[in-house]
Amino acid sequence: MKFPKTIVGLGSAAMMMSVAFGAGVAQAADGPLRGNVRVVIGSTSTGGDTYQNSSIVVDQLAEHLDLNMKVDAVGASAAFRALDRDSRGNTLMIFHDQSYLGYLYGVQGYDNIFEKYTVGPTVAINPGNAYLVPKDSPYETLDDIIAAAGDGETVRVAIQPGGVSEIGFSALKNAISIEHPGMEDNLVAVNTGSQSDKNQQLFDGQADVINGTVQANEQYTRLSEDDQKAMRFVWLTARQGTIQQAPENGLGQTSREQLLEFVEPNVTVTMGGDETFTFDKEFFFLYNKDMDPAIVEQIDEALTEIYAEGEIQEIQKNSFFIPNFKPSEQASEYLYDKMSRYEGIIENIK
Amino acid sequence: MEFLSLLDITFFLLAGFGALIGIIFGAIPGMTATMAVAVCLPLTYALGLHHGLALLLGLYVGGISGGMVPAVLLNIPGTPSSITTTFDGYPMARKGEGEKALRVSVIASVVGGLISAAVLFLFAPMLADFSIKFSYVEKFLIILLALSVIASLSSSMLVGIFSGVIGIWLSLIGDYSISDGGNGKTRLMFDFMEPYLFEGFSLLPVLIGIFGISTILLEAEKGVKSDLSNERIKFGKGGGFSLSIFKGRLTNLVRSSFIGTFVGMLPGVGGSAASVLAYTQEKNLSRDSSEMGKGAPQGLVASESANNALTGGALIPLLSLGIPGDSTTAVLIGAFTLQGIQVGPLFIPENSETWYIMMTALVFANIVMFFLMFYAIKHIAKVVMVPKHILYPIIVMMCVVGAYAINYGIMFDVWTLLIFGILGYLIQKIGLEVAPLIIGFILGSQAEVYFVKSLESFGTLSIFFTKSPIAIVLWLLILASVVFSIVMGLKSRARHSQEFTTDRSASRLDKKELS
Repeated sequence: MKFPKTIVGLGSAAMMMSVAFGAGVAQAADGPLRGNVRVVIGSTSTGGDTYQNSSIVVDQLAEHLDLNMKVDAVGASAAFRALDRDSRGNTLMIFHDQSYLGYLYGVQGYDNIFEKYTVGPTVAINPGNAYLVPKDSPYETLDDIIAAAGDGETVRVAIQPGGVSEIGFSALKNAISIEHPGMEDNLVAVNTGSQSDKNQQLFDGQADVINGTVQANEQYTRLSEDDQKAMRFVWLTARQGTIQQAPENGLGQTSREQLLEFVEPNVTVTMGGDETFTFDKEFFFLYNKDMDPAIVEQIDEALTEIYAEGEIQEIQKNSFFIPNFKPSEQASEYLYDKMSRYEGIIENIK
Repeated sequence: MEFLSLLDITFFLLAGFGALIGIIFGAIPGMTATMAVAVCLPLTYALGLHHGLALLLGLYVGGISGGMVPAVLLNIPGTPSSITTTFDGYPMARKGEGEKALRVSVIASVVGGLISAAVLFLFAPMLADFSIKFSYVEKFLIILLALSVIASLSSSMLVGIFSGVIGIWLSLIGDYSISDGGNGKTRLMFDFMEPYLFEGFSLLPVLIGIFGISTILLEAEKGVKSDLSNERIKFGKGGGFSLSIFKGRLTNLVRSSFIGTFVGMLPGVGGSAASVLAYTQEKNLSRDSSEMGKGAPQGLVASESANNALTGGALIPLLSLGIPGDSTTAVLIGAFTLQGIQVGPLFIPENSETWYIMMTALVFANIVMFFLMFYAIKHIAKVVMVPKHILYPIIVMMCVVGAYAINYGIMFDVWTLLIFGILGYLIQKIGLEVAPLIIGFILGSQAEVYFVKSLESFGTLSIFFTKSPIAIVLWLLILASVVFSIVMGLKSRARHSQEFTTDRSASRLDKKELS
């Protein structure tokens, strides 16, 4: 097969240009992190909060470091495997509390991240982890649910097992066992998959309560009571201080004031004594254990500068994320403490 | 009509460009509409929501349509939903009617796409309310209905069922995923296989292997001859195509489009089920379906109109419930998320401009797809004229690259491709059937999840019969499909034995005459 000379010439020119341009991009960065950087995330969804938050952070980081960086939604096990393979720093990972909760719940494919990886900086919180009931549910509040289970009534909660979706359920079960010892088995988990499955369980009357998020379910809470799809929030697991940092307008047509009705001190879940349960879903970096520590430092420094500029906070808040930057070392200690606290709850209800 | 002011030349250029790139993605084995949308998703940051949506919807429509090209010409489904296109498309291409097959497919695609867009526009919120009546039980029954036709797709009922069961068995290898509400434990494998098969075999490498690689192996066995079938290929003046092919097929076209839209709007049921259901309904309901599977345009009409009708169908739950109807709309939802726009039951009333913009982009992308493909077909169809000793290595290379890329660089996917290529070859050698096996493979794991979840939710087997009137209707359809398969099986056996007796008496007569 013969190609005309012009096409061959043009093709070669284009190739040379791309090589020259590519080299330029790769050489532009002068820190230890070089070339193309792939940021894998622990979710396969590009419609979810992990992708959205990672895109915001990675865009800013790429611009600041003058690097070519791309977020890939590959899912937890593929992301861990990709991270295991690359110690050069060209593969980084962003995930959230699921990364250690999966390990605590004994989910296959999850190891102790504090042993196997280097925990990088935290970047944001999604304050939207929520529990909902149908709008015409007899349970007005979370206390009604705890009391009902304590009275021997079976309450079914639709969750996705083994992680962020389950931790609130575990805390609730723990609270029932403290307030009504021996009655905790009346709170029954209905194991489902996606948010759509959880919603469907509620529509079908197969669950009394579902785990959801402010982002995915807020519109459902604004439907009229006679609509089969109408729901109502009963609990947001976030800390009061976290929700207070959200924009005043809240999300959709639910204001921050309205959201505050579903967190402490209005809704409390005891962990025994004076301690109460709250859960902020936090996003953070994970690195290959053998990656050059200079890269850890470089990203810490870059993010410190980015957060000092203040623009990223505005973008995050507009997307209903709460900025929460902590450099690697601080983040690692903080997340380890957090894991230890939740480990206690999970042990209690085993 | 304020949205009209938002429609500028860039909007239409992006939708058209998206359709073109989508067609290319769809036409390359291993590249899918989902991948095209995922690759271009970050562009929505720069383009803004409306221009971004124009591009992504173009990619979606183009990507789904492009799958027909390798399905017809090379027997490789470019996307999982074009499996049934291979059943009649490839036999037609072998008869030298590739161009005609592609033209029929393009027309069916555009009609399917436009019908589903109209249904989406007129009835979205109402249909979303209907779709939530489908719980695990009804979804299981729909999958069962699609599976029940396995037998009628085969020349021998028993062989068909056996092949289908093997396909289902293969689909269950791997873990019962936590993301499906399972326990995350693996089964049907030895411990040493876990690192490779934790999530089971990937669909696309299996598909491309079992269709594409096995076809190439079978051809290679025959030896590469230079004559090819291209001497018989009909080119020019539509390659034997005329609109009269659609005469008497309008019911099929409309029915299949509605089936595609309907299946598309059920989250989690998936695109392949749509084209399989439409294909088999045509087989069951048409007056003469004896040629289906051997190169009948009616099979192409059913398959292609249904899989393009998915596009509108899958957008129904996305825009009315915030729930994606298929894997591509699951990526598409990212465009809204990245712009901080909530998609849920109040999306359409609260974002009417975006809604109209999306409808315009969807219709325009379908029209662009039609013109691009309809007029490019005579050139595309010439692929089969490329000498096989050049064409086949290129296809194998594309298949390997596609398989490697599909899950972002997993080498085991390439091995999967090769393993299933050899398996596909052996299956055909020992007389099993590929079509039921692959349908079993695609639908098996979904059937399992919905079956187990139904039992977990309701605790009794009788729920499958008593859940709702919809369940009863589905059972009647399943029953009709099974009865049809048995009757067809008996008829074909009777015909065979009649032919056999006629042949034997004829040969006896011959012998007598000779003696």
